[in-house]
Amino acid sequence: MGSEQPTANALEVRDLTRAFGMRKALDGVSFDLPGQAFLSVFGPNGAGKTTLVKVLTTLLNPTSGTAKVLGFDVVSDAVEMRNHIGLISHNPLLYPDLTAEENLLFFAEMYGIEEPHVRVAELLDAVELDHRKLDLTRTFSRGMLQRLSIARALLHRPEVIFLDEPYSGLDPHAMDILDGLIAAVRDKHTFVMISHDLDKGLELCSHALILAKGRVVLFEPREAIDEAVFRDTYRATVGLGVA
Amino acid sequence: MASLSGRQFRAMVKKDIVMELRTKEMIMSMGLYSLLTMVVYFVALSQTGSNFDPRDIAAGLLWLAFIFTSMLGLNRSLVHEKDQGCLEALLLSPVDRPVIFFAKVIGNLIFLLAVEALTIPVFGFLFLQGSSLDIGSMALVPLIMFAGSVGIAGVGTLLATMSVNTSGKDFVLPVLFIPLMYPLLLGAVSATAAAITGGPDAMGGFWIGMAWVVGYDVIMLLASYGLYEFIVGA
Amino acid sequence: MKSASTRALIALALGGVLTLGAFLGTFFWAGVPDFGFVRTAGRAESVRYQGPFKQEVAEARYLQNYVGYRAEVETDGDIVQGTITEASDDAVTLDADGDSVTIDAADVTSAIVSGSTYGRPDWGQKIFYFHVPVAEISFIVFAVAAFYSLRFIMTRRRQYDQKARVAMEVTLTFIMLTMATGILWTRAAWGVWWEWEPRLTTYFIMTLLVIAYFVLRNSVEDEERRALYAAAFSILGFIDAPISFFITRLIPSNHPVIERGGLETPMLVSFIVAQIGMLLVGYAIYQLRMGEMKLTDRIEHAKTLLEG
Repeated sequence: MGSEQPTANALEVRDLTRAFGMRKALDGVSFDLPGQAFLSVFGPNGAGKTTLVKVLTTLLNPTSGTAKVLGFDVVSDAVEMRNHIGLISHNPLLYPDLTAEENLLFFAEMYGIEEPHVRVAELLDAVELDHRKLDLTRTFSRGMLQRLSIARALLHRPEVIFLDEPYSGLDPHAMDILDGLIAAVRDKHTFVMISHDLDKGLELCSHALILAKGRVVLFEPREAIDEAVFRDTYRATVGLGVA
Repeated sequence: MASLSGRQFRAMVKKDIVMELRTKEMIMSMGLYSLLTMVVYFVALSQTGSNFDPRDIAAGLLWLAFIFTSMLGLNRSLVHEKDQGCLEALLLSPVDRPVIFFAKVIGNLIFLLAVEALTIPVFGFLFLQGSSLDIGSMALVPLIMFAGSVGIAGVGTLLATMSVNTSGKDFVLPVLFIPLMYPLLLGAVSATAAAITGGPDAMGGFWIGMAWVVGYDVIMLLASYGLYEFIVGA
Repeated sequence: MKSASTRALIALALGGVLTLGAFLGTFFWAGVPDFGFVRTAGRAESVRYQGPFKQEVAEARYLQNYVGYRAEVETDGDIVQGTITEASDDAVTLDADGDSVTIDAADVTSAIVSGSTYGRPDWGQKIFYFHVPVAEISFIVFAVAAFYSLRFIMTRRRQYDQKARVAMEVTLTFIMLTMATGILWTRAAWGVWWEWEPRLTTYFIMTLLVIAYFVLRNSVEDEERRALYAAAFSILGFIDAPISFFITRLIPSNHPVIERGGLETPMLVSFIVAQIGMLLVGYAIYQLRMGEMKLTDRIEHAKTLLEG
């Protein structure tokens, strides 16, 4: 999957601005992220992290500037691009009144997946929920929901996976399972993760991005980052408060 | 692409029906609500004299029950999507926005018609016993009921998509919904009244009301369809 | 900035002078019409200020408006002609060549009244030079608001949302003025404060829609979402405006309609001047409010700059 992608960069963001009136949620954001990289996005509340992910996942249109994911433009190729991206959020994004299997089958239909039953069984196996597949997700624990939500995000074999604070609200055991799942698919996929947790974010990432007031404060590969300096920079942006 | 849209559409409608059959949330709440309305009607009409002919206001009372019960269902059907952010997951999938709109409209229409189909016989049983009814023209009632419900489901789905994102959603929906529904209600009530009263003179009135409602449906469905893409993504 | 508000103030002054001038001017120039609006279901007869008339009344009780005039009252197969001496909701009394005939209103199948309408000054009609221009401006500004809402949905630029919102505020102001003057006139001319009559009903619905627009705005947190929802709702809601505007021409309605050539020259000229004046007043309110919004924005912007 990843190897089919001819362009070297998974994300190409150029002068991306998202504004309403004079209030700018994103203000001239530019960066390139190579394929199979893991990008952690840090920043205080209101820095524009969520807006950035929403623009990159075609949920919001940029006011100006361009963004390309796997070479697809987020505006003009939005529909095609959605086949290649997945989102794991702190919200499960699952219907509580459907069973685990029904949920996955439903989203499989939305993506037009061939032989949905086979694919769904495969994924339920992978997230170790096969034995609970006939239970309503209403009855699931937070960790199980998160696992199922990962299965949902991987249904259509996306090449770029967005993680919106996936660890929030998880118990340690669920965190381990999530870590394991991410590690298992890590080398074939590009990840973009929003995180408040500096340690976790730095541990996983190959690139780090700090946003404040909609602007890029820092964008560097992991190797180039001096952790002490990085922490100071991060703390300084938090001091900037809400943009 | 067309076949994919068809698959998505069927999946969405099926999902709504499966969820409803499982929880029976909307049918129960709407059905119960319409029964309660009947009780209130009885109280409201309890002081009328013996000359009072319930057929004269039957159409109005029926549509009043429909419009208020429908709001209950519309709110619920969009709260389902909003609850755990499922709407976001839908928007992330390669689905054309109008497919979402029409799937929700059809889902709402099915539940609305089911509740209306239950309400009408109950209403007839409680209020129209002993009235002479023309069975031939009464057969037209389902027709206007269907035409009216299409408009309610269409505009209602758009407005409910907005109102679930507002603070005080239970209050906002009626404030937006009822004035917009006024033209439809006017036509639907006059056509239904004509069908209930019956007689050769009533047919002209019925078809005028029917044409008015169908015209409203066409205009409002097109407008809602055009606006939905912007609303659902906001 | 300064020039916009100066222009607005000039428009306000000019509009005020024109509206007031036209209104006062009608007393000297157009005079007080001898006969005002009458309750009728017909359309052509709705506005007739002076001169001879002959028309059918929609309901027998409306004969109360024609005491002293000739009437031709038809009951089941019988026609009585004479002058109306007395009329109430239930009965009408005619003087038919010296014989006093009283007819139950319930028995009347149709009635035609005729006569000449001199010598009955109708002061209430003066509201025409205020009420009608205000009402027309409310429709126009609503259309402007819907237009800017459409522009907003297409461009997503905040300025259009502001314009739509301010236009909607002006619409609400003018709707309230229309309602207030309308209710007063209804009491004077029809003897009731309110009637569920097609124009009044649809206009009332329009009032509710405009109020709902602001309810919607107030209940959405996110600024851009609020703007989108409000825009969508104002476009949907605008569908009622043409219905309300044209309904008196489509179905029988008590509300008066100005027929082509229905106004005498002095009346027509005064009416047009009042319309232009009211349009200027509307424009002025819009511009002043817009200027205020822009100032607020600049202050907010300055605040964020100072914080940063």
